[in-house]
Amino acid sequence: MRTTRIRRTALTLLIILLIIACFLAPYAWVVASSLKNQFTVFGDVTPLSWRAFVPVGATIENYVSLFERTNILRALLNTAIVATGQVVFTLLLCSMAAYALTRIKFPGANVVFMLILLTFLLPIEAMMVPLYQVVSGLGLSNTLVGIMIPWIASPFGLFLLKQAFEELPAELEDAARIDGAGHVRIFFSIVLPNVKVPMVTLGLITFLFCWNSFLWPLVIVQDPARQIIQVAIAQQGSPTQLPNWGETFAGATVATVPLILLFLILQKYFTQGMATSGIKG
Amino acid sequence: MADVQLKKVGKTYESASATTIDGLDLHIRSGEFVVLVGPSGCGKSTTLRMIAGLEEVSSGEIWIGERRVDELDPRERDIAMVFQNYALYPHMTVAQNMSFGLRLAKVDKAEIRRKVEEAAKLLEISTLLNRRPKQLSGGQRQRVAMGRAMVRDPAVFLFDEPLSNLDAKLRGQMRTEIRRLHKRLKATTVYVTHDQVEAMTLADRVVVLNNGKIEQQGTPQELYERPATRFVAGFIGSPSMNFLPAQVALDGGTLVLRLNNATLPSPADRRDALLPYVGKTVEVGLRPEHFLAGDGEPDLSVPVEMAELLGPTTLVHFTLAGVPCAAMLAPQHAHPEGSQQPLRIAHDRMSLFDPDTGGAI
Repeated sequence: MRTTRIRRTALTLLIILLIIACFLAPYAWVVASSLKNQFTVFGDVTPLSWRAFVPVGATIENYVSLFERTNILRALLNTAIVATGQVVFTLLLCSMAAYALTRIKFPGANVVFMLILLTFLLPIEAMMVPLYQVVSGLGLSNTLVGIMIPWIASPFGLFLLKQAFEELPAELEDAARIDGAGHVRIFFSIVLPNVKVPMVTLGLITFLFCWNSFLWPLVIVQDPARQIIQVAIAQQGSPTQLPNWGETFAGATVATVPLILLFLILQKYFTQGMATSGIKG
Repeated sequence: MADVQLKKVGKTYESASATTIDGLDLHIRSGEFVVLVGPSGCGKSTTLRMIAGLEEVSSGEIWIGERRVDELDPRERDIAMVFQNYALYPHMTVAQNMSFGLRLAKVDKAEIRRKVEEAAKLLEISTLLNRRPKQLSGGQRQRVAMGRAMVRDPAVFLFDEPLSNLDAKLRGQMRTEIRRLHKRLKATTVYVTHDQVEAMTLADRVVVLNNGKIEQQGTPQELYERPATRFVAGFIGSPSMNFLPAQVALDGGTLVLRLNNATLPSPADRRDALLPYVGKTVEVGLRPEHFLAGDGEPDLSVPVEMAELLGPTTLVHFTLAGVPCAAMLAPQHAHPEGSQQPLRIAHDRMSLFDPDTGGAI
C-alpha cells in the first residue's frame, strides 16, 4: 500500500517535472545561447545535446556588444513609457466604462456591452490598416502615443472589471452616498479600492501585452529612436547582414527580465485575479 | 431630531412586476420609533429608500423637520442609515468606517476622534477600532454599522432589516440593544423589517404595509388586539391567528355565532355591527391563546393531532371546520396526541372579518 503511494507520488512528480522542463527549455536555451558566441549557438542544437542548455565557456560578449552597438537602452525606456502609459490609461478608461455599464441603467446597455465584446473577435491583423489610417490621420504615427492609443479601450479590460463591479454590493455605494460622498468620491474612494485584485490583474496583462507587442509598433513607428524593445531586437542587424543570433538572444533575455521581476512582485494579485475572474491565462 | 412626513408619496416603476407605492401618507413624530412591516415586496424598503434619497419619488412630498427633502441628495437630508448587509467599507478599519462621513464633512480631526470613541464606547466596540470588517463577527459588524450612523448625529435614523443576517440569539440581543440606544438617543427612527416579532418588540408605532399601501398603523398592542383587516390579523402575532368560518344567527333573539358544532355568543361590543350579517357567514379570528382549557364548561372538543411543548406553554394542533388550527394552552391542561381536547373560546376577544372585503367587523 505504502509502496503504491510512493510510486504514484514519484510518477506525479515526474510528470510535473517533464511539464516544467517543456516550458522552461526554450527560455533556458535563449539564456544559454545569449552566453555563447555566434558559431556555437546552433552547433549545439543539431544534433541536440545538453550543451544547448548549458553555456560551456560562457561569455558576456553578446551583452557588451548589445549595449555598446545598439540602442537597446533607449528601446527599453520607450517600452517602459508606452507600457506604463497604456496601463494607466487602460485602467482609468476601462474602470470608468465598466462602472458606468454596470451601475447606470439605460436602454440598450446590454447591446452596447455585447458590441464592445464582439470586437474581441477581430484579429489584430485585420484591424491593422484602418488603425494605421486613423492613427496617422491624428498625426500620431511615429510617436509613442501612437503605439499605445489604439489599445487603451480594451474590451477584455471592460469585461474583467464589469464582472468585478457586479460582485461589489450596491449597498456600499448607497452607504457612501448617505455618508455624503459624490459620484467621483464614491468611485475613487469606495469602488476602486475594492476591486484592487482585478485592477492589478488587468494592469499586469496590459503591461505584458504592450511589452511583447511587435506588429503594431513595427507598422506605426519608423524612427529607430522611438521603437520599442521587441522590434528593436528584431531590427538590430542590418537587413543586408546575417542576424547576430548571440546578440538577439541577449536582447531577448534583457527584455524578459523586467517582466519576470514585475510578475514576481505582483504574482499574488495576478493569480487571485485569474482565479476569481474565472479567466484562464 | 425631527418629524418625518410623507405626503401622498407614490413610486412607480417602468417594469410592471416591481412594487408600486400609491399615495402613502405617514407622519412620524420627532423621537418616535416607527417600524414599517410587511411581507416581501410590499414596498417597505422602497419607502425607506425614498426617505433616504436612494430612490426617487414619483409623486408626493417628503418632509424632514421644516424642510422638503424629496428633491435633495441623501447627504443633504441629515439622515443616517443602517443596511441589511451592514455595507461596511471592506478596505477601511472600523474607525475609518465610522469616521468616513465626518471626514467628508471636513469635521475637525479631534472632534472626529472624540465622536468615534464615544460611539464605540457606547456600543462596546472600543477594542475593535483598528480591525477591518472581515475580522469581525456579524454582531460586531452590525454594531459598527450602527456606530457609523450614530457619529453623524442625524435628525433621523433609518434601519433597513438590520438584524436579518444574524442568528436568532444575536437577533434578540441586538433588538434589546437597539431599543436601549433609542431610549438613550431619543432619535426619530424608521425601521423596516419583515419580522413581526421585531416590529412588536421595538416599535412605538407599527405601520403594516401591503401592496404599497398602509393596511393599518398603531401601537403594537392595538395591532395585535384590534387588527383592522384580516391581512393584519394574519401577519401580526406568532403563532398566527386561526381563521374559521362561522354562521351568524339569531337564537331566541340573541345574536350567536355557529362555529362547527359550537354556538358562541357574539362579542358584546360588536353586536350592532354583526346584525347585517345574520344568516351569512363571517370569518372568526382566534389567536392561539384565545382557546382556553381547564375549569369551565367547554364550547367544543377537538381531536389533538400534535402537541408541542414550548416550555411555559404547549401548542396543541387540531383541525376545526376543515381548517388546521393551533391552541396555546398551559402544559397541565393540554391533552396528549390522539385524545380529545375540550376547549373554551374567549369570545369577547375574538376578531371578526367580512369574508368578502377582509375588513374587521
